[in-house]
Amino acid sequence: MSRPVSRAAIVGALLKKDFIAYSRDSVYLALTLVVLLAVPFVFRVLPTDVEETIALGLSPTVSQMVDESRDFLKEKGIPDAQLDRLDAADLVGVREGLLMLEFEDKEQLRDAVAGDLEVWLDGKEVILRDPDSDEKKPKDAELVRIMIGIAFPDEFIPSVMGGERGMEVTVFTYANVDEETRMAMASFMREASYQLAGLDPPVDIDYTDPEVLGEDRAGEQVSLQEKMRPLLLFMVLMMETFSLASLVSVEVLQRTVTAVLVTPARVSDFLIAKTIFGTAMSFGQALIILLLIGGITGSNWSLLLVTLLIGAVMFTGVALFVGAAGKDFMGQLFYSMLFLVPLLVPSFAVLFPGTAAAWVQALPTYPIIHVLVDATAYGATWADSWVWLAYAVAWVGILYGAGLVALKRKVESL
Amino acid sequence: MMTGPGISVDGLRYSYGDLEAVKGISFEVQPGEILGFLGPNGAGKSTTIKMLTGQAMPKSGVAKVLGIDVTSGNEDFQARIGVCFEEKNLYLNMSAKENLTFFASLFGISDLDTDAVLRRVGLAGRANDRVKTYSKGMRQRMMIARAFINSPDVLFLDEPTDGLDPVTAASIRTTIREEADRGAAVLLTTHDMFEADELSDRVAFINNGEIVAIDTPENLKLKYGTRAVKVRLRDGDGVREETLPLDDGSHAARLAELASSPDLLTMHTEEATLEQIFIQLTGRGLEG
Repeated sequence: MSRPVSRAAIVGALLKKDFIAYSRDSVYLALTLVVLLAVPFVFRVLPTDVEETIALGLSPTVSQMVDESRDFLKEKGIPDAQLDRLDAADLVGVREGLLMLEFEDKEQLRDAVAGDLEVWLDGKEVILRDPDSDEKKPKDAELVRIMIGIAFPDEFIPSVMGGERGMEVTVFTYANVDEETRMAMASFMREASYQLAGLDPPVDIDYTDPEVLGEDRAGEQVSLQEKMRPLLLFMVLMMETFSLASLVSVEVLQRTVTAVLVTPARVSDFLIAKTIFGTAMSFGQALIILLLIGGITGSNWSLLLVTLLIGAVMFTGVALFVGAAGKDFMGQLFYSMLFLVPLLVPSFAVLFPGTAAAWVQALPTYPIIHVLVDATAYGATWADSWVWLAYAVAWVGILYGAGLVALKRKVESL
Repeated sequence: MMTGPGISVDGLRYSYGDLEAVKGISFEVQPGEILGFLGPNGAGKSTTIKMLTGQAMPKSGVAKVLGIDVTSGNEDFQARIGVCFEEKNLYLNMSAKENLTFFASLFGISDLDTDAVLRRVGLAGRANDRVKTYSKGMRQRMMIARAFINSPDVLFLDEPTDGLDPVTAASIRTTIREEADRGAAVLLTTHDMFEADELSDRVAFINNGEIVAIDTPENLKLKYGTRAVKVRLRDGDGVREETLPLDDGSHAARLAELASSPDLLTMHTEEATLEQIFIQLTGRGLEG
């Protein structure tokens, strides 16, 4: 004979059942294990430092250029002592993010930029090596990837100083050098030529104190590892979305929910249980991952936890919708992709420099990603983040509400 | 203990869009009674059960279970009913014991003797096996076991022996009879006329959403069937059969003559089956 039973006890029984069903499904378990093992591993192997130095090759060497124009420079009244200093100038090294290396001829420089010639730096010494040769790699030397090469023509200095126009300087760039850097190099060459010709550029730009509009993050470059942190956390939430959607879908398709709803359990109990289960699973795993990959501190922990919780509820809403809408595995996959791909876009947007496009900022997950990045990488506080969180909560209301309504209607129509 | 009817239905209607699936049916099921809902697929049997168990809202009419109007929003009656669905909606990744314990907890039962419940349906040795390893017959027995866990006052059984072997079906029928003997009102839907005849105290013929006849099997046969005696006689080296209708009394002399004949081999009374009566009333068979 049945006895009075509280709503809490019914929800508790449903949660226990969901946990058993989840733990018995090899696909869910495999997904969970893969996430818990793979994500921290991937995070650990990502680069932790930011490569801000551009390796620049020059040919011919400065001493070669000085030697070939020594007579002309003397005629121009440049004293020997100054020429000797120029000849002995040590250009090899890092200056303001630029590593300059000298090459004896244009072909050598071209091969180095193209990757046909390995460039090793042992202290100040540049060692060139044919990668296809049997020659041993230099010990204790650092392999340098020359991204840009500037080849000056013969008689460059006297020609420029003599006012000759139309001198052709060849710039080699490696394929993955972005357009901005190429243009910057061209400008750099133009300015250098002006100076060699004894002309001052017609404008004065004070680079030391620029007027920065918006958030100035100069010098706060974030490593790829740090950039990937929110993306990885989102991957965890996304994986759990698949699992929960599948759990809901199985319950709907096998009509076990119908058997539950002819007992004292109500539709609301079912929805509450699924919400708690989905949120707890995704939030719990995201938290474990966050603890494993770092980023949580004494000052940002509460902000991070609340942000992850909001994200977990948002993805639970998506899972409820997908679980209700998908009529089979393919249907579920279709609806999952339909939602998850756009929701994942903001987490990729943080990988690239600059402000995200307006349409990316309009996506539901953008405020969550924004707060995660700001809190883990830039020390953002509650005061910096509450507007974004309010924006995220509004989206949660819409997505979770849609999921709830879709599943309720589906269950009631069985 | 129930005082009124377990189920009371008056003018119940339900539509799927423009298709009227149930067209104003009325009936009652008393405690301890088994009412067999006999009809072909799509006749409205399962839809009626859906409405009575709270899964579907009637478009009109009155439906009471244990005196509670199922349309009133009061779902307290669901604590006192047991439902065996046509589809085997069990949690396949859970064991039989876990399935029963879970559903018992929804009824507030924390001390269910799962072994006793499973023993009753012949599954005692498989209590800890996952249901997905069960055969079709074993899953059906699990469905029956689940429907009984709260000792329900009203039982809704939708095709409980569909597709089962005769031995398993007989065992399940015995269990259903025991529940009725305990005092449960049982609404049994089936398109198996033998099952309806054997188990039901009363039978309702349902066709195209309407109840076309409702009575005890015996009365239905008396009312709509034709009684006859089939006689087999030796005829030279062969056997000859003769059927004599009993209802009009005009064959009494011939019957007496055959009964005393030295050629008489066998003599059997014959009565109409429920299926024959159903066809007579609706013009269609039960398998349609």
